[in-house]
Amino acid sequence: MKSLVLVKQVPDSNSAFRVNAAGTWVDETNLSYTVNDFDRYALEELLKLKDAGKVEEVVALTVGGADAAAAIRTCLATGADRAIHVKDDAISGSDPFVVARAIHAAIASEGFGLILGGLQADDDNHTQVGGLVAGLLGWPFASAAVGLSLLDASTLRVERELENNEVQVVDVTLPAVVTVQTGMNTPRYASLKGIMAAKKKPVSTLALSDLRLGPKDVEAKLRTVSLAPPPKGKGAEILTGTPEEVAKALVGRIREKTGVL
Amino acid sequence: MAKVLVLAEHDGKNLKEISFELLGMAHRAASGGLVKALLLGEGVSELASKLAARGASEVIQVEGASVRHYTADGYCRALVPVIQEESPDLVLLGHTPNGWDLAPLVAARFGAPAATGCSNVVLENGKGRFTRKAFNGKFVHETEIEGARPMIATVEKGASTPVEGETSGTVRSVSAPAEAELRTRHVEIKKAEAGGLDLSQASIIVSAGRGIGAPEKLEVIRALAAALGGQIGASRAVTDAGWLPHEHQIGSSGVSVSPKLYIACGISGAIQHVVGMKSSGYIVAINKDADAPIFGVADVGVVGDLFDIVPALTQAVKDARP
Repeated sequence: MKSLVLVKQVPDSNSAFRVNAAGTWVDETNLSYTVNDFDRYALEELLKLKDAGKVEEVVALTVGGADAAAAIRTCLATGADRAIHVKDDAISGSDPFVVARAIHAAIASEGFGLILGGLQADDDNHTQVGGLVAGLLGWPFASAAVGLSLLDASTLRVERELENNEVQVVDVTLPAVVTVQTGMNTPRYASLKGIMAAKKKPVSTLALSDLRLGPKDVEAKLRTVSLAPPPKGKGAEILTGTPEEVAKALVGRIREKTGVL
Repeated sequence: MAKVLVLAEHDGKNLKEISFELLGMAHRAASGGLVKALLLGEGVSELASKLAARGASEVIQVEGASVRHYTADGYCRALVPVIQEESPDLVLLGHTPNGWDLAPLVAARFGAPAATGCSNVVLENGKGRFTRKAFNGKFVHETEIEGARPMIATVEKGASTPVEGETSGTVRSVSAPAEAELRTRHVEIKKAEAGGLDLSQASIIVSAGRGIGAPEKLEVIRALAAALGGQIGASRAVTDAGWLPHEHQIGSSGVSVSPKLYIACGISGAIQHVVGMKSSGYIVAINKDADAPIFGVADVGVVGDLFDIVPALTQAVKDARP
């Protein structure tokens, strides 16, 4: 079975973010980028299936500008066999549906049996590209997996994370798209050998014209109006002083407001 | 006149609170327009009457074996024909594990993206304005959708209040498509970990976040929790790293809690965590980063190193006890 992992290059979530001058997104200068955390778990899950002999090939796909090539290199160095880079400004600046449409166009003739991705991206938090790709392919979908196992050649058992420490076990008929939660495995890191080997692995770079998509097909229906820091709201009363002073003040507040002391 | 459908969530016996919140949000978005509820399941007529009494002018009850349990395939197949027939301006789902499972599949059928994790929805002249969060709650992301009908959106838990007073809507039953070829099949719902901890009932919770740095450093959290007679909670970063079992995790994918006292230590306040604890009675936040979103939901905060503040607080609590 051929498998695909969808990855996204995102700003490191520990960055000190500022809104850009236009107030439309974060200021991207001086940010360091990394593979979206959720996607690392998705890649690891496929590499584990490959190690177990259940998957023959692991392909990594990203949609993004020239910078996103770094995400692809990381995946190849970590163990993916080849990569697809959908690189077109008209697509990467658009909305999740356009991204999904581009992914669909890029892989429609590939014959993948299993596509994994992260539940969401750490930057836009849209939580939908995997499901949109499944919808466009007409394939079954399951999200937020915390456990995956192949029951047979055409059935994947998925443990979906629910609320309140519960999981739903669902059997999914392949081919399928599944998104994964963080924490489901321990993603491996690229070895030096892997980094060297990655340089020889094939990467196909596709633009709009390669995907037979026209300007109309990549028009965003979901548009950003603005990005802004959250309103301060009530905001916390901030206590200052030495640790002992603030601790004493906190005990006073807790006693007064909650009666628990 | 605007028309909005909401998808009710339930466990077969009870409606989840998000169902009523969605009805409230739908009424605000429709501003005097039509609000209907979609209820999928088997033997759920009692739940249908509750929705009709809480703001749905009509409840479309889709019954059948294929929707006895939630699965993406079963629900999507049952929902799409109903949505096509109703042709609403907007369909609202919860930003919940089942909502984020289903919303993109349904949205793809209608050839548009969904607006996800919304805290507010406004309809105007065929456009939708959706207020959501990006960068895990660090920013408010105002978005709009144009040229899609219906628009599909998921709504954050706690973003809206239910409709006040009692309404008298009607209930209409339709049959779900036959089960034969479902490609996602429910097996069971089980506990992720059987540790027996139930934080949802705790009255005092001391929580650790990424800022704790290493598992052995959880001792300072344990000491404070012990001094207060409280339980230990965690953000996802801590349980993902295996520093605490999953059952300690508080947030949209963990447990929702509302203790009298919640102390967040080294927790930045990502939206996924905040939705699980913001209804706590009194919230204390201790974090190094003065810009951390946790200070936006806390009642009182200290900007500083938790390894200085938390032990001092533990001592002060001990001193305060008779």
